[in-house]
Amino acid sequence: MTDKKIKILDCKSFDNEYLHKDFHGSLCYAIKYLDEVYGEQATEDYLKQVAKTYYAPLTERLKKKGLSALEKHWQKIFGIEGGKFSIEYKAQKLVLTVDKCPAIAHMKRKGLLFTQRYCQTTVVVNETICAEAGYCCSCKYEPGAGKCVQEFWKERD
Amino acid sequence: MISCTEFIPAYSELFKFLDKKGGKEAVVRFWENLSDEFLGNLRDLAAKKGLAGCFEYWSHTLTEEAADFRMVLDEKQNLFTIEMRQCPSKGRLLEIEHIKPYKYYCEHCDVLYRRVLEPLGFEYHVDLTNCRRAKCKVTVKKIHIS
Repeated sequence: MTDKKIKILDCKSFDNEYLHKDFHGSLCYAIKYLDEVYGEQATEDYLKQVAKTYYAPLTERLKKKGLSALEKHWQKIFGIEGGKFSIEYKAQKLVLTVDKCPAIAHMKRKGLLFTQRYCQTTVVVNETICAEAGYCCSCKYEPGAGKCVQEFWKERD
Repeated sequence: MISCTEFIPAYSELFKFLDKKGGKEAVVRFWENLSDEFLGNLRDLAAKKGLAGCFEYWSHTLTEEAADFRMVLDEKQNLFTIEMRQCPSKGRLLEIEHIKPYKYYCEHCDVLYRRVLEPLGFEYHVDLTNCRRAKCKVTVKKIHIS
C-alpha cells in the first residue's frame, strides 16, 4: 500500500479471538427495551425462550451428567470472559461465587449498563434450565454490583 | 451470565420473540431504537472523521467479532466498503444445528447503520443477496453537497 489515501484491512476469522464484550451492552439494552415497551413479564418470557431453545443442549447435559455439566459450562464461560469467580461443591450443591462479573465490569467501564435488571438474564435463564432438567437454583446478588452467589442442586423426587 | 460469545443466538431469539409479539414492524422498531441508543460511537466517529471514522469503527468491531472480511477505505474515490466473506453473526447462527436464525436476521445491519449514516450525509448500501451463506457487502459513500 503506497497510496496513503487507500487503507485496507483484510482479516481471516482465525486471525482474531471471538470476544466482543460490547454485546453485553446490547443485551442489557434489550432488557431495558422489553421492560419499557412490553413489561417485565415479557422480559421473563423472552429469557425463558432463550433458555429453552439455545440452552437446550446444556439442559440435556445437566439431565444426563448432573451438576458437573454446569461446572464445566461455567469454567468455560468464565475462562473466556475473565472476571473473578470460584466454583465449588458444598454438600449437595454446586456453588458459583462471582466476585467480579466480567459483563457488569465491562458495561460499567463503557457506560453500557442501561438497566439494573440486567442480572435477570442470569436469574431467569438459570431457573429455566434447572426446572427443565429437574434441578433447582438460587442467585443472591445486588443489582448492578457485579457480584453474586449462584447455587444449583438436584430437586428431591 | 449469557456470555458475549452466546449473544448472537440470544439476539436472533429476541427478534423472533418481538416478531411474535407485533410482527416484523415490532422488530424494525427495536432495531431503530437500538440504532438511536447504542450506536453513538459510530455516530461520533462518522461525524468527526467521515469515511475514516467508519473504517475505524468497523476495524474494532469486526476484529473483536473475528469476522472474515476485507475492508477498504479509498478517500480519493470517496468510498468505504466491507466485503464480508464470513459474517461472524450469521455464520455462527448457521452453525447452530438445534435452532434456526430469525428469517430476516441480516436486515438488522441495514436498519441499524443506515439510520446512523444517512442523516450524516452518507449514502449506505448493503447487498444481502448472499446472506444465506453468511456473505454480504457494505458500500458507504459521502455525498458531496455543492
